[in-house]
Amino acid sequence: MQRRIPYVNVVGQHAAIKAELHDALDRVLDHGHFILGEEVEEFERLFAELCQSPFAIGVNSGTDALILALRALGIGPGDEVITAPNSFVASAGCIVQVGAKPVFADVREDFNLDPALLEKAITPRTKAILPVHLTGRPADMDAIMDIARRHHLRVIEDAAQAVTAEHRGRRVGSFGDAGCFSLHPLKTLNACGDGGVVVTHNRELCEKIQLMRNLGLRTRENAVLWSSNSRLDTLQASLLLVKLKYVAEWTEKRRANARIYDEKLQGIPNVQVPMVAPHERAVYHTFVIQAERRDELKQYLADQGIGTAVHYAIPIHLQEAAAGLGYRRGDFPVAERQAAHILSLPIYPELRREDLERVAETIKSFYRS
Amino acid sequence: MRVNFSYLDRQFADVDTYLKDIRELVLTGDFTLGPPLREFEERFAQLMDAPYAIGVGTGTDAIAMSLKMLGVGPGDEVITTPNTFIATVGAIVMTGARPVFVDSEDGYVIDPTKIEAAITPRTKVILPVHYTGNVADMPAIMETAHRHNLAVVEDACQSIMGAIDGKPVGSWGATAAFSLHPLKNLNVWADGGVIVTHSAELAEKLRLYRNHGLVNRDEVTMFGINCRLDTIQAVVGNRLISQTRQITERRIANAKRYDEAFAGLGELINLPTRRPGVRHVFHLYVLRVKRRDDLLAYLRKNGIDAKVHYPIPVHLQKAAAYLGYKSGDFPMAEEHARTAITLPGHQHLTEDEVSYVIENVRAFYRG
Repeated sequence: MQRRIPYVNVVGQHAAIKAELHDALDRVLDHGHFILGEEVEEFERLFAELCQSPFAIGVNSGTDALILALRALGIGPGDEVITAPNSFVASAGCIVQVGAKPVFADVREDFNLDPALLEKAITPRTKAILPVHLTGRPADMDAIMDIARRHHLRVIEDAAQAVTAEHRGRRVGSFGDAGCFSLHPLKTLNACGDGGVVVTHNRELCEKIQLMRNLGLRTRENAVLWSSNSRLDTLQASLLLVKLKYVAEWTEKRRANARIYDEKLQGIPNVQVPMVAPHERAVYHTFVIQAERRDELKQYLADQGIGTAVHYAIPIHLQEAAAGLGYRRGDFPVAERQAAHILSLPIYPELRREDLERVAETIKSFYRS
Repeated sequence: MRVNFSYLDRQFADVDTYLKDIRELVLTGDFTLGPPLREFEERFAQLMDAPYAIGVGTGTDAIAMSLKMLGVGPGDEVITTPNTFIATVGAIVMTGARPVFVDSEDGYVIDPTKIEAAITPRTKVILPVHYTGNVADMPAIMETAHRHNLAVVEDACQSIMGAIDGKPVGSWGATAAFSLHPLKNLNVWADGGVIVTHSAELAEKLRLYRNHGLVNRDEVTMFGINCRLDTIQAVVGNRLISQTRQITERRIANAKRYDEAFAGLGELINLPTRRPGVRHVFHLYVLRVKRRDDLLAYLRKNGIDAKVHYPIPVHLQKAAAYLGYKSGDFPMAEEHARTAITLPGHQHLTEDEVSYVIENVRAFYRG
C-alpha cells in the first residue's frame, strides 16, 4: 500500500516550527496578558502591512470579522447585501446575523461573482456588495468597485481564503470599505483555534470596530456603544507572529504545487483545472478542479489513499437555512453545475512533487478505467 | 507588601503541566470542536449538575446566543439590572432587543419585588445577573416569570458554583451563561464562555448556532455564527476544573474573614446582606464604604490592588443615552457606583495578605 496523502496536514506544518511555537507560548505566559496583549497589536501591524492596508483589527473569527464590518458600516434590518451562493455558509450567515437579507448573484467559471449578474441583482434596498475571493482567487474587483461607485454601495470583501491574493498587483482586502480574513486552523495563515481580522483604509471604521470588538468600551469604565466582545486571543496572536514569517514561503509552495497540477492534469478531457488570468495572483487556499463523475472519482482517489474534499456540495441558496429567502434550484445555474463537479485536491506546502504527480496519475487512471 | 488583584502569576507556578497538554494538542492540529472540548463540556455540566453544557467564545456570547435561540429580537424587551458589567446589556442589544432596567437590592443582584412593574406586553425574558458571585433570588424571579409567561436566562458569568439551598445556578433559567475569562473563578487563558441548559432542544439549537448552523459538513439548517470555545483553551479548562471546588472554598473563606473583620465598622462599611442558604462564590468581594475614593487611593498607595466595579452604572453610560434613563432612576445601583469598592479576594491569597488588607482598611478609618 502506498503512503496516504491526506487532504490536509496541519501536523506537518507544526512539526517544522515546533520550537518556535513553544517559545511563543512561553512568552505569553511570562506576561499573562491573555486579553488584547501586546502580541495582538504587533500582529495587527504586520498583518495590515501584509494586506497593503493601513489598519487591521484582530477578532475572534473570520465570521465575526464579516459581522463586525457589516454592523460597523450600519447595515441592518431592511437592507440587502449581495454575495455569491457558492461560498462557505458564513458569507451569507453574517448578513443574516446583522438582520439584513442576503441576495445572491451567480458566479463565473473562476468561482467568483459575475459582475454583470451582480449589477442586475441591485434593488433600492441594496446597501452593500460582499464579494468572496473563493479558493484564494481574487474576484473581479475593478468591475465590482466600479458598480459599487455607480450605485453608492459599500463593499465588504470576504477574503477569508485569500490572504495575499492580488488583482492587478493589488492585494485583496484593500479594495473595499473593509476586507475580512479568517485565521481558522485550515487556512494558509492559521491560528491554533478560531481567529479573524478586518482590514480597512478608513480610520473611523477602524476605531468603531475596535470599540465593537471590546464591548464598546472606550476606557475601562466608559461604554460609548453596546456590543459583545470578539477579540483575537493573545495566545493565538503570539503563534500567528511565528507563522507570519513563513506565510510568503508557504503561499509560494501552494502556487508551485498548483502549477504542477496544471501541467500534469492538462489534456484530460474529463477534468477542468482552475486556470488563472495573467492579472491575477491566486493563492490556492483550495485547488478546485471540475470533474465528470465527481463522486466516483472522489471515492476512487480515497481507495488509493488520497484525500479530497468538496467546497461546497450544496450551494447556500439551496440549504434548508435559506428556505425563507425564496430561491429555488435553477436560479444560479453556474454555481449549481459547479457544485456537482467540483473537487478540491490536496495542495498544502508540505506535499512533495511525487505526491502531486501521484494524485494526477491516479485521476488519469480513473478516467482510463 | 503587595496584594494583587490578578493571581495569574501564581496559577503559572505549575505551568509545565499545562504546557505539556497544550504542546500535545498543537501537534495533533485538532483545534476546533476537538475531544478536549467535549471532555470539558461534560465535566462542566457535571460540576453545575446540569445535563448539557456548550462551550462558546465568551460569556457575552453565551448570553446573546441564549437570547437569540429563545427567539428574542427587534421589538422585544429584556429585563435586567443596571448593577452589572456592561456586557450583560451589550448582549441584549446585539439581539436587537431593548434592555429594560430594574434596580438592584442590597446584595448587588436584581430586586425581585421591582420586576413586575417593569413588565410590558413586549417583555420576552428576565435576565437576572448573579453579580459578584452572589445569587439572585431565583425562586421569587421564577414565580414572577411563570405568572407572566416569560423565559429566564441567568447571567452566571461571575457565579460558577453559586447555589441556593444546594441548588446550583443554572437550575432555574432556560439557560445560564458563564464566563471563563482569565480572572473568573474557573478561567482559561483567553476569552471563553459556557452555556448550561436543562433543555435537550435548546442544547441542540445552541450547538448548531455556534457552528454556522451546520448539521454535518455539507448541510445548514439555520444560519448561525462561529462561536466555539477553542479546543486549546478547553485543555487549560480541563486542568483547572478539577480545582474549581477548592478555588471556590478558598474565596468563600477569604470573604468570611473580611466579613468578620469589617462587621465592627458598621457606620463606615456597609456589608451586604448575606442571604441564608445562598452560596455566594465571591468572584468579586465588594463592599459599600464611606469615603470610597480616599480609601481606594490609600489602599493602592499601600500596595493593595483594590478596584471599583464599576463607577458608572450601565443606565448612565453614554451607550445607554437612547434608552432615556436619568440619574436617580435606580437609587441602589447609583449608590453602589458611588460607594462600592472591590478588595482582592482570590484563591491564591495568603493568610498574611488577607490580614494586611484588613489592617489597612482599619488603619484608614482609624486615621
